Amino acid sequence: MKTKALAAAAAIVLCSHAGSLWAQDEVSHGTLYGDLQNVTQSMLNRASGDGNNFLHANGNYQQTRYYPASQINTGNVKNLRPAWIFQTEIVDSMETSPIVVNGIMYVTTAFNHVYALDARTGQEIWHYTHAMGPVTTYCCGPNNRGVAVSGDRVFMGTLDAKLVALDAKTGKQLWETEIADPELGYSETMAPTVVDDMVLIGTNGGEYGIRGFVKAFDAASGELKWTFNTVPEDSVGVWATHDATGRDMLRDIEAEKAALASMGDPYETLGGGVWQNPAVDLESRRIYFVVGNPSPDLDGSLRPGDNLYTDSLVSVNLDTGEYICHFQYIAHDVWDLDAVSPPIITTVKDAEGNDVKGILHGGKTGHVYVHKADDCSLIRFSEAMVPQENMWVLPTAEGARMLPGANGGVEWSPMATDPNLHMAYAINLHQPMTYHVESTPYPEGKIWLGGAFKVIPEEEQWGNVTAVDYNTGAIAWQVRTAEPMIGGILATAGGLVFTGEGNGLFKAYDSSNGGELWRFQAGAGVNAPPSSYTVEGRQYIVVAAGGNAQLNYKRGNNIIAFALSD
Amino acid sequence: MKLPLLVLAGCLAAVPALAKDNFVLEDEVALCTGCHGEDGVPVATDYPIIAGQQYFYIFTQLRDFGAGRRENETMTPIAAEYDRDQAKEIAQYFADKPWPDVPGSSQEGDRQLAEKAMTAAECSACHGKWQGDSRIPRLAGQQVDYLATTMLDFKSKTRKNAPDMSNLMADVSDDEIHALARYLSTVVIH
Repeated sequence: MKTKALAAAAAIVLCSHAGSLWAQDEVSHGTLYGDLQNVTQSMLNRASGDGNNFLHANGNYQQTRYYPASQINTGNVKNLRPAWIFQTEIVDSMETSPIVVNGIMYVTTAFNHVYALDARTGQEIWHYTHAMGPVTTYCCGPNNRGVAVSGDRVFMGTLDAKLVALDAKTGKQLWETEIADPELGYSETMAPTVVDDMVLIGTNGGEYGIRGFVKAFDAASGELKWTFNTVPEDSVGVWATHDATGRDMLRDIEAEKAALASMGDPYETLGGGVWQNPAVDLESRRIYFVVGNPSPDLDGSLRPGDNLYTDSLVSVNLDTGEYICHFQYIAHDVWDLDAVSPPIITTVKDAEGNDVKGILHGGKTGHVYVHKADDCSLIRFSEAMVPQENMWVLPTAEGARMLPGANGGVEWSPMATDPNLHMAYAINLHQPMTYHVESTPYPEGKIWLGGAFKVIPEEEQWGNVTAVDYNTGAIAWQVRTAEPMIGGILATAGGLVFTGEGNGLFKAYDSSNGGELWRFQAGAGVNAPPSSYTVEGRQYIVVAAGGNAQLNYKRGNNIIAFALSD
Repeated sequence: MKLPLLVLAGCLAAVPALAKDNFVLEDEVALCTGCHGEDGVPVATDYPIIAGQQYFYIFTQLRDFGAGRRENETMTPIAAEYDRDQAKEIAQYFADKPWPDVPGSSQEGDRQLAEKAMTAAECSACHGKWQGDSRIPRLAGQQVDYLATTMLDFKSKTRKNAPDMSNLMADVSDDEIHALARYLSTVVIH
C-alpha cells in the first residue's frame, strides 16, 4: 500500500510540481508567527490571520473556517489541479480536518491512524497506529476528525476513549490517558482543541446512555484539570413546551412530572455528548460548545424533564469549566435533532441593529441560530434550509413521518463564514424518515435508541449548499446537490467556498452568489472538511476523500491537495 | 441524591448476582464447552461458536443473559451467577481461542438473495466484512442454524437485546434470512 501510495503521489507531483524534494529537512521553516518545531500559543491565537498554516480543526479559535489567503480566487480557480494525492493504509470513512504547521500536514483516518506528510509533496514523514483497546464504540462508522497541535505535540482522541499525545517530529507516543470508561459507551471521534496548555475534549455516546462532559487535560502530562458535566444532577429545567422557533413540541408535561416523581432524575444515563469542537473566546476566557441528544434517543418516557443541557448551546469558563450560560433549542428531544455542528464566534447585528459578539450554530432542525455571546440568548434564527413537515409529531410504534429526518438539517458538518459578506455557509441533508419508539430499559452501555429512525425508501433525498445572511436570517443563495451532504465546508478570502459530496465531487462556489466555478471527481465520497495552507508562496486546498459509513458513500483512502496549475 | 440507576435496574427481569461463589475459571469453561464444544465446535448446529468470538461481545451477552435482557432457559441461570469480572474472565478465555473451522454449506442462488437482503437491511454498515468488533459479533463461519434462528428471533422479537436488529429484520423475508444464514456460514476470514 505504501509503495502504491508513493508511486501515485510521485506521478502527480512530478507532473505538476517538478523538482519537489522529499526529505523532511528540506521543508521550509518560514512562517508568520513561529517555527516548525514549536506551535506557540501566539500562533494558535492568531490563526484567523495566518495564510500559511491551518492550525485548528475549524481554522481558528472562533471556528469561522474562513481562510485569509486569496491566491486561489474566483478568477483563477478554474486552473485548480491536484498537486499530489496520498493514499492511507485505511480504506474507510474519512472525516479528518487536515492540520498544517509550517509545511507539515497531520491527517487521521478511521481506526485512529495519524500521518505526518510533507505538505508540498504528500511524502509520508511518519505514521502512528493507535494500539486500540479491547472495547471500542462507534454508532456511525470508525471515524476520526483530526488532531490538535500545540508546542511540539500532536493530540488525538480515540475510539476506545483515550486521549493520546504524540511527538510532532517523530509520531512517537508521549502519553495516553483514559478519558472515560469505554465499556459504558464513551468514545472519541472529534479532534481535540488545545489552548493555554490545556487539551479540551468532549465525548461521543449519546446513543449509549452516557453522561456527557467536556474535560480539560494538561497538555504536558495528560492530567485531568477540570470536567464540566453536560447533564446536571437536576436536569429537569423549566418544562418548556415550545422549541427555539416557537413551535409546540406536544409534550405531556403532567405525565412527565408523574414519571419524575416515580423514577427520579435520569441524569446519570441521559446522554448529552459533545462531539465537535468548542469555540474559544480568549477575550472573555469562555468556551462555547453544543451538546448532543438525550438518551435514549426516541424514548422520552424514561427521561422526564427538559433533559438539560442536551440539545443546547452552552458556555463555560475556559480555565475552570464553570457554567456561565446556555440556550436549549429542543427540550426533551425525541427526534435526535440535536446540536452538533460546531459553533462559530463572530460579530453579528443584534435585534436593534447594533454590532455585538455573536455565536452561530447550524442546527439539525435546518435553521442557523444566532446568539448573543454574553448570555447565550437567541437573537434570531434563519429561514429553514431544508423542508420541514409535521414538526413536532411524536414518534409512534408504527412510525411517524416528520421532516427533517434524524440526520438533520445540518449534521456534524462544520459551517464556514465570510465576515465581509456576513454569510454563514452550511451543507444540508434532506432525508425523509419515520420516527419509531419502542421503550427498552438502560442496557448497561450498549446502544440504546429507544426505537428507530427509518429512511422512507420511496421518497427522494438530496442535499444543499446554503448561504445564510446571519444578520437577517435570510437565505442568500442555495444550490441543490444530488445527495444529502455531510462533511464540511471552507470559505476563503479568494471569494470561494469549497465543499465535497458523497458521489466524489469536490466543488468550488462563488461565495457571493453560489455560482459553481470548479469541480473535481475524487473517486470516493468527499465527506470531510477542507483545509487550506500556503508553502513557499503556493496556496493549496486539501481534503480527504474516504466516503462515509453513516450514509454509505463510497469509501476511499485519499488525501488530495490542490494547487493552481503552473 | 437520587438513584435512578437502581430504579432502572428494578425494571429488569433479573439482575446478575454479585459474584459466583467458589468461581474457578476451568470449571466454568468446562460447563460452557459441554454445549459449545471442547474444540470450539458446538455439539449442535443451533448452538453458536464462541471460540474466537469478540471478547466484549461475549461479555455483553453474558451480562444480557444474566440480567434477562436476552432470554434463554439454559444460559440465563448460568450467566446470572457471574459478576462483571467473572464474565470478563470467561469472555477473554474464549475470545483468545482460535475460531474453529466448521464448513458451511450454501445453495444455488443464496448469495444473490443474501446480497439483496444485506443491501436492504444495510447489514454491512455495522457488521462490516463479518469479522465483528468489540460490540458486533463475528458472523463469518458461524453455525448456520444458529444464524437463522437468531435472525428469526430478532424478527419475531423473541430476542430483545438488540432492538435495532428487530427493526431491520422486520423487512427481511424468511427465505432471505435462511439464504443469509447459509451464505454467512460459508464466509471465510483469512
